[in-house]
Amino acid sequence: MKLNLVGLLFGALFGGLLAGAQLHEYDTIHAMLRLAEPDVFLLMGSAIAVSAPLLYVLERRSMRTAFGGEFLLSRSKPQKHHYQGGALFGIGWAVAGTCPAPALVMVSSGALLGLVAIPGIFLGLHLNERMSGGSAVGDGEHRELTMADQ
Amino acid sequence: MYDLLPDRLPWFVVGPGLGLLIVALFMIANQPLGASGAYTQTSGLLRRQQGIAIWRVWYFVGMFIGGVIVTQVLREGSEVRSGYDALRDVFPLWAVVPLVFGGATLLGFGAGRAGGCTSGHGLCGTAQRSPASAAVTATFMTTAIATTFVLRVVTGGDL
Repeated sequence: MKLNLVGLLFGALFGGLLAGAQLHEYDTIHAMLRLAEPDVFLLMGSAIAVSAPLLYVLERRSMRTAFGGEFLLSRSKPQKHHYQGGALFGIGWAVAGTCPAPALVMVSSGALLGLVAIPGIFLGLHLNERMSGGSAVGDGEHRELTMADQ
Repeated sequence: MYDLLPDRLPWFVVGPGLGLLIVALFMIANQPLGASGAYTQTSGLLRRQQGIAIWRVWYFVGMFIGGVIVTQVLREGSEVRSGYDALRDVFPLWAVVPLVFGGATLLGFGAGRAGGCTSGHGLCGTAQRSPASAAVTATFMTTAIATTFVLRVVTGGDL
């Protein structure tokens, strides 16, 4: 129950920040990818610059998280599917000018073509799941999602 | 509704804000602030699969609600429109719809195969110093910039 509330809250804050920076607009992403303005690169870079050192420090002290057990970061070696998936993702990102989280915010903002993008993302994830024969968990470096408080 | 926020918050507000949000979710739930996993869990729930992380479905709904709060409540509110202004300046709507759908399918497929998208690998994985995430991020940045360049050349510089 409480974890669901955490999910709702973090989703809302995440979506709100994306909307704040207009990341749900095709024009913003397109201007970034044709290297016309550096803002989104700086945005992503500063998000990593803030979070990476904090995660580094937190990793060094053993602590328990409220819902996810021991605080533990994950790292893995690049494999073939990472490069293949990344390459296809980049092409689709450039054409559709959006990615999974901003596509939802696109609809929030009243842009109806977001309703074309979202089913496409669902279909793509589903096709991959069927081809690879398993359900990909899929949030980058990931751990099991099963938790006590559900 | 209220016109409290500027049209676009600067990167040096949103970037560090996202960074802190990433750290907070790791501290509370030991989970990355991703997005494609929320799609996977939501689609699993709709197809009545077992073992769904329900909180990720709430998170999915939350992203939409957060967008509504900022674009419709805290800002003046935006009208219903098609979106994709720059793309629609170049292509007619009957071409934009399949382009968006095809592109979205491709990026969904790629995110599934790579195990993450811009947020999961690009932000959270990189912030965890994962070599796999760095590889995915470098790869998608490269192909995205190259694809945009190709689109620009094909449209004679209009896009």
